[in-house]
Amino acid sequence: MKTVARDIMDTGFHTISPQTPISEAVKIFKQASGKEGRRIFGMMVLDDSGKLVGMLSMYDILLFMRPKHVHIWGKMDDIDLAGIIDRSCEKAKSIRVGDIMSQEIVTIGPNTHKFMILDIMIKQHIRRLPVVENDKILGIVYISDLFYDVLDRFTDIRPPG
Amino acid sequence: MSKSVQNTLSGKVVASAIRRRINILGKNSTISSAISTLIKYKIGGLLVVDEDQSPLGVVSKTNILGAYYASLPLDSPLEHLMTSPPLFCQLDDPLEKALGKMKEHQIYRLYVKDPENDSVVGALAYPDIVAILYEYCSRCPQSLFSQPPDSTETGIERSLVADCMTKGIKSVNMDELLYEVVEELTMHHMGAILVIDAAGHGRGVISKTDLILAYNHGVSLETPASEMMSVPIRSCRENDMLEEAIRSMIFSDVHRLFVKVPNSEEFSGVFSLTDAARNKSGSCLACISSRIQITSH
Repeated sequence: MKTVARDIMDTGFHTISPQTPISEAVKIFKQASGKEGRRIFGMMVLDDSGKLVGMLSMYDILLFMRPKHVHIWGKMDDIDLAGIIDRSCEKAKSIRVGDIMSQEIVTIGPNTHKFMILDIMIKQHIRRLPVVENDKILGIVYISDLFYDVLDRFTDIRPPG
Repeated sequence: MSKSVQNTLSGKVVASAIRRRINILGKNSTISSAISTLIKYKIGGLLVVDEDQSPLGVVSKTNILGAYYASLPLDSPLEHLMTSPPLFCQLDDPLEKALGKMKEHQIYRLYVKDPENDSVVGALAYPDIVAILYEYCSRCPQSLFSQPPDSTETGIERSLVADCMTKGIKSVNMDELLYEVVEELTMHHMGAILVIDAAGHGRGVISKTDLILAYNHGVSLETPASEMMSVPIRSCRENDMLEEAIRSMIFSDVHRLFVKVPNSEEFSGVFSLTDAARNKSGSCLACISSRIQITSH
């Protein structure tokens, strides 16, 4: 029975460097999604020595792309938005992965119980958790894998009799 | 009986202008982590808390620039560079009182406490106040944008950029080094500086944001300004309508425009969202002229 992180983690994870430009990072996300056959929304960021220094999610990229005062746009109907997206992309050119990645990372060990993982994900609004042992990255647990693992067990239960 | 002058912000309280999302980092978080937060959320400062989540101080782009200048390692803890203690206002304070406090202390943001439980519930910064002014003005039937396209005369005296810009231009030469740029920005309390060529023509801009990115990328302070400047120079003219200039900044996500004199490529000053917030009267003089009749006993 799968009970701990080691059992459900994805070991075919993709990583990225903090020096990678954001435009390149988006391409790497796309390529990784193609290889995996599923959308990849986040990646671990490793420095030159292989140390985990952050996580970059699509949310981080979208936060940066979002215009700061967009909340007042919806109240106006006279806005000419032509060129706004191009200008936002232009600004992103000088930004690297290390400039917008999340650096306060929560990690788990390979023997962390899956309900403990679930608890961390819910309480801290985390969708993916790196599995680390002795500074070495073993894999990553995605909330979707955890969900399907729990759901599969749930649907496997047969009624008594 | 005395006449009281009101402006667009009169009667509004802090609660109407604050951002509920506040960015908080622990005192042991690193400078690099703070840079990521400032860049990603497009903010000028963040709140630093202790282990009990009690507010300890504020780290702004200016603090980070100081750390760059002092060559502090990027993994230094924020408690080594924060300004302490943070300054607060209350949710139900009049907006003008809060603006006055920001001006008095020469700061660009106040954190907001809920008077009922003393918890920090948001932050108030100049750009958010400008957004309110802009929203108010754009809905006003007297607004420049509410006039028919072929209308040339509304009978309303409108504010121009020249009325509230900061006059005078500071600049650095293209071959000046980044540490000299940091010195200039710090000495003159500026957010950005013009980079000029040997003939005195503006070629680019270096902002605090450009410099904290340079710090995060490991760029040496001995690097020439020309290698880090941003182009093009976002600009407006002294005789542009205030509404147009504010609109340009809000929708282009920039904090300031360099101001050119009419019919010339010469720069005469800077117009920032902070200048616009300090102006307080919105984008035309209709509010003041209509409300000046309000009397208090």
